[in-house]
Amino acid sequence: MNAFRWWRGILLAFFLVALIRVFLPLPFSNEVVIFSIYVMGCSFLLGQVGFISFGQPAYLATGAYATAFYLFYFGTNPFAGILIGIAAGIVMSLIVGPLFVRLRSDYFALVNLALAVIIYYMMQKVLAPITQGDNGLWFLTNMKSTPILDISRPKEFYLFAFLVALGVWALYKYLNDTLYGACCLASKINEDKVTFLGYSNFKIRLLAFVIANTTTALAGSLYAIYLGFVSPEMTSAHRCADPVVVTILGGVGTLFGPLVGAFAFTGMKDLISNLIGNWELFIGFLLVFIMLAGEKGIWGSLEPRLARLFTKRA
Amino acid sequence: MDIQLLISGVIFGLSIGSIYFLTAIGLSLCFGLMRIISLDQLFYYAIGAYITYAISVYSGSMWLGALGGLVAAGILSFVVERFIFLRIYERDIAFTMITSFGILIGGVGIIKAIWGLVPRPVLMPTLTQWNILGTDVPLYRLIVVLIAALVYGGIWLFLNKTITGKAIRAGIEDVEHVEGLGINVYRLFTITFILAGTLSGLAGGLHAPLIMVDPNMGLEVMPFIFMVVIIGGLGSIKGTLISSLIVGQVFSLGAIIYAPLAQMAPFAIMLLILLIKPTGLYGSKLLKR
Repeated sequence: MNAFRWWRGILLAFFLVALIRVFLPLPFSNEVVIFSIYVMGCSFLLGQVGFISFGQPAYLATGAYATAFYLFYFGTNPFAGILIGIAAGIVMSLIVGPLFVRLRSDYFALVNLALAVIIYYMMQKVLAPITQGDNGLWFLTNMKSTPILDISRPKEFYLFAFLVALGVWALYKYLNDTLYGACCLASKINEDKVTFLGYSNFKIRLLAFVIANTTTALAGSLYAIYLGFVSPEMTSAHRCADPVVVTILGGVGTLFGPLVGAFAFTGMKDLISNLIGNWELFIGFLLVFIMLAGEKGIWGSLEPRLARLFTKRA
Repeated sequence: MDIQLLISGVIFGLSIGSIYFLTAIGLSLCFGLMRIISLDQLFYYAIGAYITYAISVYSGSMWLGALGGLVAAGILSFVVERFIFLRIYERDIAFTMITSFGILIGGVGIIKAIWGLVPRPVLMPTLTQWNILGTDVPLYRLIVVLIAALVYGGIWLFLNKTITGKAIRAGIEDVEHVEGLGINVYRLFTITFILAGTLSGLAGGLHAPLIMVDPNMGLEVMPFIFMVVIIGGLGSIKGTLISSLIVGQVFSLGAIIYAPLAQMAPFAIMLLILLIKPTGLYGSKLLKR
């Protein structure tokens, strides 16, 4: 397995992403990069810690709205907006985390979904004077251009989002190799043994929850800056399954899964919504089909073959 | 708060709670016996409502429509169980959850393809108002409560007085022992699943005249069904009944006090109960996953 050393993998994967930028239109590649950051958090929770979360849009919206509030009401610097989005993600997951991670995995999924819907209602109705309800907040013109990397322009935004994705990816890669990553896997497989070894399941899971959901919030604030507006639509119940679908499409627990999944998902979405208008029908049956076909996903079934190929050459 | 508002609020809460109960009981039973989280119950709920709409437009009778919706939901759940769930009962709980979410989303797509995106009204079968303590109360809401009470009684009798029902109850305790006694547990699974789907269809049919039917109605009611199931504890019928009454009342009385509170208050109650008891009011502690 040495053939797939992490630095080779990272170079290969991101070389491919850079290649996408050359051959494919800019909005598409922006979408893929942000979506892959979004999915990385969910993939980490599902693959390494064993928590299935249908409520990722809740944290996405937390990050997005925090950024939007800052840019709409207070400031003009998009970088500060992103930092505020991250901070909001940390605060949010620290508030709900201690409650949620104590639950069994089935309850965890249900509670998260409920949270996503509650945030939807909050943004749509309860906080309507601040969030302007369904109209959303528009702040594209509020953003000032920044000196070195002007992320209010799509081209340079892509570069920035790409670097962020690289950073997040490297973080998860690093986490997987540390003792902490091993603890996460151990607490997924057998929580009693983790307790016997002297680790606290609660702390391991809380940290994982905070890391994953902060990543999601970061993706949310990137979305907000890229689109220049936010609306409650992003946390509606229809979108709740997206990250889970993409995680499974790419391959659960693999590091490249989110990248491959986000690419395949966004591509299919673009292609298929051109052909038929009924996107839900397709996504639902795709999900059922992947699950019945063995839940390995694209990267999960591709990886062993690639690894063999590389070892032969080496 | 004046007394008339309070009475109509309580009746409203009871009828909403009854509909939540009818839908949540399916999720709860499926979890108790088969250890699956069957999110596709909400698809049968929407199908029940839509068949009710179609038949009541055609024949003019909503009761006939509700009956048709119930039967259609039952048949559909049987088909789904045969072709999809029978293959995945052995799998992990997250696995069945994702699959059933796929069925739900696909089902919404099917409904959109057949009936389109526009919300449709279903005619109210009776507009009679009964006078209770000086307050006019719509008779239909009382009928909904009565039907839910009858269903609860019927399920109680089924589970406690028939051999199949006793086998299902034993299966909720320990499936492997029941299988060891020579009972075909997969037949029990099928019966339970059809029962759950039928009740969800009935809930959809009864709910249809109170709201407009639209393709996303399953997804809209989903958070409340979840709250009912979580507060009551997965797998417990008594817990589901009690928590659906709680959620219904909180929903309707919360709306009287402060309108946006209706959607938020049940969530606050859910968090409170989970803080005190992480398994819900009547959830079993035995399950470790």
